[in-house]
Amino acid sequence: MTAFRCLVALLILIPASASFGQTPEQLFREANQLYQQGKVPDARDLYEKILSSGYSSGELYYNLGNAYYKTGSLARAILNYERAMRLIGGDEDVRHNLQLANMMTTDRIEPIPKLFVWDYWQVCKDAFSLRSATLLAYLFYVLVAGAVALFLLARTYALRKVALLSGGGALVAFCFCALLFASKLTDATRTDEAVLMAQIATVKNSPDPKSSDAFVLHGGSKVQLIDHLGSWSKIRLADGKVGWVEAASLEVI
Amino acid sequence: MANRLIILLVAAVLPVALRAQTADFQASVDRNPVGVGDQFTLTFTLSNAGMGGGKNMQLPDLSKFHIMSGPNQSTSMQIVNGAVSSSVTYGYILQPKEIGKFTIGPCSIDVDGKTLRSGPIAVEVVKGSARPKPQASGADDMSAQIGDNLFLRATVDRTHVVQGEQVNLVFRLYTRLSINNYAVDKNPTMTGFWGEDVETPKNIALTNETINGKQYRVGIIKRVALFPTQAGQLEIGPMEVQTTVQVQDRRSADPFDSFFRDPFGRAVNYVVKSDPIKIKVDPLPSEAPAEFKGAVGQFAMSTVVDKKTTRTNEPINLKVTVSGTGNIKLIESPAVELPTDFEQYTPKVTDNIDRAGDKISGSKTFEYLLIPRYPGLKIIKPVSFSFYDPARREYIKLHSPQIELNVEQGTAPVPPLITGGSQEDVRVLSQDIRFIKLSGTALAPQGSYLHMSALFAVMMFLPLAGVGAALVYARQRQAVMVDQAGYRNRRAIKIARKGLKQAEYLLHEKGASGTPANNQRLRFYGEVSKALWKYLGDKLAIPQAAFSVEGAVTELGARAVPGELIGALKSLLETCDMARFAPTSLEISVMARTYDEAQRIIVSLERILK
Repeated sequence: MTAFRCLVALLILIPASASFGQTPEQLFREANQLYQQGKVPDARDLYEKILSSGYSSGELYYNLGNAYYKTGSLARAILNYERAMRLIGGDEDVRHNLQLANMMTTDRIEPIPKLFVWDYWQVCKDAFSLRSATLLAYLFYVLVAGAVALFLLARTYALRKVALLSGGGALVAFCFCALLFASKLTDATRTDEAVLMAQIATVKNSPDPKSSDAFVLHGGSKVQLIDHLGSWSKIRLADGKVGWVEAASLEVI
Repeated sequence: MANRLIILLVAAVLPVALRAQTADFQASVDRNPVGVGDQFTLTFTLSNAGMGGGKNMQLPDLSKFHIMSGPNQSTSMQIVNGAVSSSVTYGYILQPKEIGKFTIGPCSIDVDGKTLRSGPIAVEVVKGSARPKPQASGADDMSAQIGDNLFLRATVDRTHVVQGEQVNLVFRLYTRLSINNYAVDKNPTMTGFWGEDVETPKNIALTNETINGKQYRVGIIKRVALFPTQAGQLEIGPMEVQTTVQVQDRRSADPFDSFFRDPFGRAVNYVVKSDPIKIKVDPLPSEAPAEFKGAVGQFAMSTVVDKKTTRTNEPINLKVTVSGTGNIKLIESPAVELPTDFEQYTPKVTDNIDRAGDKISGSKTFEYLLIPRYPGLKIIKPVSFSFYDPARREYIKLHSPQIELNVEQGTAPVPPLITGGSQEDVRVLSQDIRFIKLSGTALAPQGSYLHMSALFAVMMFLPLAGVGAALVYARQRQAVMVDQAGYRNRRAIKIARKGLKQAEYLLHEKGASGTPANNQRLRFYGEVSKALWKYLGDKLAIPQAAFSVEGAVTELGARAVPGELIGALKSLLETCDMARFAPTSLEISVMARTYDEAQRIIVSLERILK
């Protein structure tokens, strides 16, 4: 009976104490609730708070992107969708929202068409998260090791044959997954992509405010950073245009 | 006109000239006072200057005026009663620059060595135009005489309306004269209105009306129903009517002149003009319903379908009639929402406008031809029509009842594809972002990767350790196996000798008959065979079960055993095998030889194989 009372007291106390030291998951749920109630700016601030506390997830970036979109900050929305893509690139909702947000931007940048093989590779990359690629690579690594061990221990020729064949298959799969993992890891940790945060930026031909204007870029455009010099960044657009822009107007994805 | 005036002036100067017969130079203006914007003519007249004419004319200061043209020189010569008089006029058309009284100074001219000067002229410049209405000299009085007694008046029943509201415009001709006939010269301009002429009787019914104590006969010559199509201050322009009026010429007292005149007066063409009218048009209230398309007035709507049941591909006639008073002609066809599998053609529109009454009324019929393509119960949504009622100052919506049509399968086959060729994409109602994710992968500290964790490092190591362990185990097993062969090799000769010793014992043991018993002989050969086989098995590290004579021969051949020895071994093994199947044929001596042979072979083999 006393144990039951203690339990009840605990259950009552837990939510009360939660408001002081909430876990990131609780904050995330709370922010989602705020969003659902239409208090989008509050939800946005809470998502940002979770991020600043050092926690992140693809869903968090996605929701934050939505909150920015709803509050009219298109560039920030795109930035967060891009960050979400890094983590949960295979998610269809993220892709859709990013596409929609990109459609709202002023500049339409036609990407240079790539070899179709890259598209397939991209599909493969999007189908797995970094985590799942890690686990898959590990799985095949274990299988290769198992096959090697089996080969070593097998007493009969047939068993050795099985070990050799399965080991070969596992090795091929492991190589693919390792490549996938390496590629995903490079994507996840790359710092050479940025989104233009300024409403409008004049891209110069050289890192000098007095230099001639190369082109004008509007907020929300994704650029590739290829060089830095002082407060200037050399950028390349998806369509191949290159120029220098003030680094302060960009935010690395 | 100026020329005419000049002639008149010349005529006025002439008697003086006749009297003096000397050169004379005079200045005159055609008008005084003049308006600032008006032009007037300054004329210098040189009379009787003789054949030499005037020279070196010095103009006075005309800086207060713009010289619009001049000098316009004209010469005239008259012979009156034998006396010749001539005059030269220099005309300048001037325009005053400012208001005030100005004096045009004397102008000088040299005639026959003498300098003549004209007198100064004071010109008064007044504000505005002092120019009297241009009137033909002869018609002046006439116009004045007619003007009072004949005029055209335009009236409207209201001067402040909302857009689309009817305004009745009436043109009335007032007269105290007898009018022979009239014709509309210029119709009034009605920019911003849709005007519908209201029928007026062919024969103008004249009424009497008294204005300012004068009695006039009044006839309505034109009635227009106006519907403003735009808001703002609109103006109806003047209408001009050409009339032919019978007037009595009272002016002429000359009997000779009047002889030729019509005793009933004469017919004079006279143009009467109405004054423009301003009408203020307010815009319609902004909260117009969606169906509103500009209809203003009072209307009713009816919808009729010619049949409620039809077959596929047989047309149906949907008739929507809007009737009432107001700007009927401006009514647009109400939208009819049809089921998608209907074919619809643009409606046939017929107006029926009654212009007789005070208000324009009538009806407008829209006939929709509908062709159902598929059988079934089809519903045509209520047709809605909306108009603004200026009397009630609100928008009114009319809805027809919903129309249900029963379409039966006709004889014609159903077309295979309903939207053939015009298939549409799923219509996206609005593009919006997708909803947030309420759950998902757990939040993780930023920059934490699975492959960086300590656990993962351990897990990475485990399979390697497993492989290592397997490798060690396999090595050890190999070592054991290799060792076993060595042991057998070393022990082979010992075991063989043991077997042979057993065989020797069997050979020398005497049975009851003094010779070894049959089964003893068999055992002897068995022991020899066993010893040989076991020795070979141990030496060659081959399990006995998987052993044959041929296998042993090849194996021994591979180990550089001489062929003679192999042959001896082979025959000895064959002898042993044979003896086991036919023991009686074996003699003691043969057995002994076999024993010796076996011993010799084993010793020789042991030397080679080691």
